[in-house]
Amino acid sequence: MSESGTQLFARLEARRCLKDIEPRLFPDDGGPDHGEVVEVYGPEGTGKTELLYHLLSRCVLPEAAGGLEVDVVFVDTDYSLDMLRLVSILDTRLNKGRTTLKGLSTSPSSAGSDEAALHLCLSRLLVVHCSSSSQLLLTLHFLETTLSSRSSLALLLIDSMSAFYWSDRGEGGASISKQEEKLSKSSELLGRLLRDYRITIFATCHAIRRSNSGPSSSETDRPFLCRPWQRLVTHRLLCSRQEADPDQAGSDRGDGEQRRRRVFRVHCTSSSLSSTGTKGSRTSSFRVTDGGVEFI
Amino acid sequence: MVILREGMCPGLDEDLLRSLRAADIRTVEDLVSSDSEELAQKCSVSYKALFAIRRVLLAQHTAFPVSGADLYEELLSSTAILSTGNPSLDKLLDSGLFTGEITELSGGPGSGKSQVCFGAAVHISHHLKQSVIYIDTTGGLTASRLLQMLRSETTNTDEQMEALQRIRIVRLFDVYALLDCLYGLCGGGLQQASVGGGSVKAVIVDSVSAVIAPLLGGKQSEGMSLMTQVAGVLKTMAKDFSVAALVTNHVTRSGSGDVQPGLGVSWSHVPRTRILLERVETAPSVSRSSLRSATLIKSSRQPCCIKEEFDLRWWSGAAGGASGKRKLDQAGS
Repeated sequence: MSESGTQLFARLEARRCLKDIEPRLFPDDGGPDHGEVVEVYGPEGTGKTELLYHLLSRCVLPEAAGGLEVDVVFVDTDYSLDMLRLVSILDTRLNKGRTTLKGLSTSPSSAGSDEAALHLCLSRLLVVHCSSSSQLLLTLHFLETTLSSRSSLALLLIDSMSAFYWSDRGEGGASISKQEEKLSKSSELLGRLLRDYRITIFATCHAIRRSNSGPSSSETDRPFLCRPWQRLVTHRLLCSRQEADPDQAGSDRGDGEQRRRRVFRVHCTSSSLSSTGTKGSRTSSFRVTDGGVEFI
Repeated sequence: MVILREGMCPGLDEDLLRSLRAADIRTVEDLVSSDSEELAQKCSVSYKALFAIRRVLLAQHTAFPVSGADLYEELLSSTAILSTGNPSLDKLLDSGLFTGEITELSGGPGSGKSQVCFGAAVHISHHLKQSVIYIDTTGGLTASRLLQMLRSETTNTDEQMEALQRIRIVRLFDVYALLDCLYGLCGGGLQQASVGGGSVKAVIVDSVSAVIAPLLGGKQSEGMSLMTQVAGVLKTMAKDFSVAALVTNHVTRSGSGDVQPGLGVSWSHVPRTRILLERVETAPSVSRSSLRSATLIKSSRQPCCIKEEFDLRWWSGAAGGASGKRKLDQAGS
């Protein structure tokens, strides 16, 4: 198969390594390397999409505002991308970056340059909506050409991988292999893209079983997606809601705003192949504010 | 699953289809996932022709990537915020129902879910002059209640009739009829409904759990796949036609005894904003109080667990409500 010179260079040229994308989430020096997949798993309302926005903004922001200036593809399977929320996070971080740069002097920054900076950040983002698992498979094939033409594309975000789980089960009927067929094909294709193009993938997976026996039950955290996908995953982030501190509820007057902000916990288990094969783990907590995720 | 048919794209004729079927390639996904070189050898077709067919089929059936900047511009121009008519609820919802999203109201029996839906429909059709499609699956909607609410907003009978005409009511009682109706709306029903008055800006489904809850449970997963289908078409409709979708849900008790919205964990990911309605505990002497409290349990814009109380009688506020009641007495006498 022939490919043009630019395609060859785009394929072989090293894409930006995203090991340092968020060191507070991963165990020491254990961030996702080239070709690794991170699965973000958790029930509803535990901050998974907010984490994705945080990683997204970290990638597209300019270096002056603390970003990595890489291109990102966001595959949206259940229409959960809230552009207004994303833009407010980007705005807050850009402003924070601007004020730290210029110190305390409030120079009248023209609205034009704010708009231009935001437009530049947003142009690094590509969004695709998929409405069924067959469309997801075909779109991933199509994305291969996008990957080969843009060498600054280093991150693929999928929200969420489990959106078509029940419709696939309904379509597949009684045979499990038929049920998992399309997701398996998509996972195999993703594996090939990871090997050939050396990108990094973050994907969310919604929980489908409620935890009846308390927050520490391991039954609900068992992966339920197909085997080929589970083989791809190298890091797993388990998100949960932290129980509200009873002392906080007592203090009425003080810091009402902080009291309302729920705290979320993330537990990361890595079985990274690049390290010595040992498993690492780390737990961190964060709050969701106007400027996105803030680690505690 | 898109099955290969002749004439789908230039170059896909009957002979090629026959040789592809012999090589076990029946759908577009099979064709795209297979290795073109091997397939060309097996079917004795030129590699170039097969590659061109693959490219055209991919272009026809994939979703195209959109740049974030374009998506944001489009969203800015098409998103609207529809006030529900009640200032306390609007405060919870960050100034109202957003188009392009699903908002869920959950609550026990008698907690006021349908009344809130009526109030929102009346406000949108009368004040905002936009059409509303109200899908009633419980049989709890009566036009006389809508008229009563409208009478407290205006005394002009022409305006009342116009506002009532902008509310289109669909009555259905099972999930297949609901899917039919929603697909029909996506396929051109919304445009048809907009011909009369203003464009359709809200679709209210009261209640979505009444048609789905009987199908859940047990070993069959068909109920879950129907639920995800309903969720998918509601979201697609909300996004593509920029309407605000408002659905109501029942409540169940969790393992620890708390009240939580029904339809399980898989539905909980579907709405963007969720509100829980409850009766307010008042003195036992006051029976049938109309006070309700609304708690925000999921939102991407506000911190969760904020609570607001409101009275179901005065929908648009205390001042207007008092005079409205007097007018109603006059009209009755």
